[in-house]
Amino acid sequence: MTAPFFEYGLFGSAFSLIVALVVGIAFGWCLERSGMGSARKLMGQFYLTDLTVFKVMFTAIITAMLGIFWLGWIGILDIARVYVPETYILPQLLGGIIFGVGFATAGLCPGTSCVSAVTGRGDGAAAVLGMLSGVLLAGLFFGTLEPFYESTPHGTFTLPTMTRAPYGVVVFVIVGVALAGFQLAEWIERRAKSGASARSTAEAE
Amino acid sequence: VNLRWLEQLGLARIVGGAALVLGLLAALAGTPDRARNARMDVESLARAVEHEEDHVTAIELAEWIKGRKPGLRVVDIRPGADFAALHIPTAEQIALSDLSRTPFRRDETIVLYSDGGAHAAQGWVFLRALGYDRVYFLRGGLREWLGDVMNPTISATAGDSAKKVFARVSDLSRYFGGTPRVGAAPVITPVVPVPAGRDSIAALRAKLSVWGRGC
Repeated sequence: MTAPFFEYGLFGSAFSLIVALVVGIAFGWCLERSGMGSARKLMGQFYLTDLTVFKVMFTAIITAMLGIFWLGWIGILDIARVYVPETYILPQLLGGIIFGVGFATAGLCPGTSCVSAVTGRGDGAAAVLGMLSGVLLAGLFFGTLEPFYESTPHGTFTLPTMTRAPYGVVVFVIVGVALAGFQLAEWIERRAKSGASARSTAEAE
Repeated sequence: VNLRWLEQLGLARIVGGAALVLGLLAALAGTPDRARNARMDVESLARAVEHEEDHVTAIELAEWIKGRKPGLRVVDIRPGADFAALHIPTAEQIALSDLSRTPFRRDETIVLYSDGGAHAAQGWVFLRALGYDRVYFLRGGLREWLGDVMNPTISATAGDSAKKVFARVSDLSRYFGGTPRVGAAPVITPVVPVPAGRDSIAALRAKLSVWGRGC
């Protein structure tokens, strides 16, 4: 049995939708469990009081990275067939800015807004509505947007091909950066907490 | 065994430590890229070659294409310009260097061909090393296709059994738009009409004349 299962024809597109549904539910459950359905929690990231987003994202990245590397190494996963999105500098730069403004305004990103909406939060529902309207508008005007959408193409980049470092060395460096990042994040959180308690003590006095 | 120290360490440290160990081992483990880690069972490959299970003839391939063999993929590994000028019907163009990254399914029958037989035979080895079992190459390449399928000839004095075979091949040839001949020397003509402005017939003939070089 070789993965990616869909690429190797283990199942067709109909069954892949069921798989996507199951994986999506699991993903949503994990997001909610890690507290990412709450805009307040996510905003803590921008104010450097709660770095849960950073920790959850980086944990997901190194878990997936190690899984992909080792599954590829023992021959279960064919890494060459894992889809790597292509880079289009200008459209992705602009898209990133719009995304960032939306993220900072709503306190939610696409995945977390769905989780937030499903758990009954009004701001989450509004963010989902906004996202769907945006998708619809972009789809309706895709003909006009297409030349820009496909401008400045640069193909796919991966860290091993860009740095010419061996794949495993890149994996190790990223794990190291993540672990150091976790330490730093916890230190920042401790500092923010002690700062906040000092402030509240000062206000009380 | 006393595992108290594990509890004292805490879950986050254990998981983090595991990630560090896996990351460190990854740095020493070498590439996980399947295309670079292909393994060859040289004995079974040699056996396949010995039993002539490694190639198909142009006639066999023509029968597969005409019979719409399920899961058949005919792969032209020549450069794109050559493919555009002339290729076997139903073929797709995949460069030899891209073969390892092409998503073939295990249940597909892959037939590789190039101008002659050599490059396709090398591609056959690559795909077998990557674990695909149903791989063949067209023994004599495009030249064999042009000769045996598109321009089959029979001597006017051939016996009855040869004539019977020729009748079958002629049917196949006409299906692909070929011209079976009796008693004449084969004249190679392009299978696919050459798109205007891309390649003249004369240039194509010149190309055909250098095919004798072997790949």
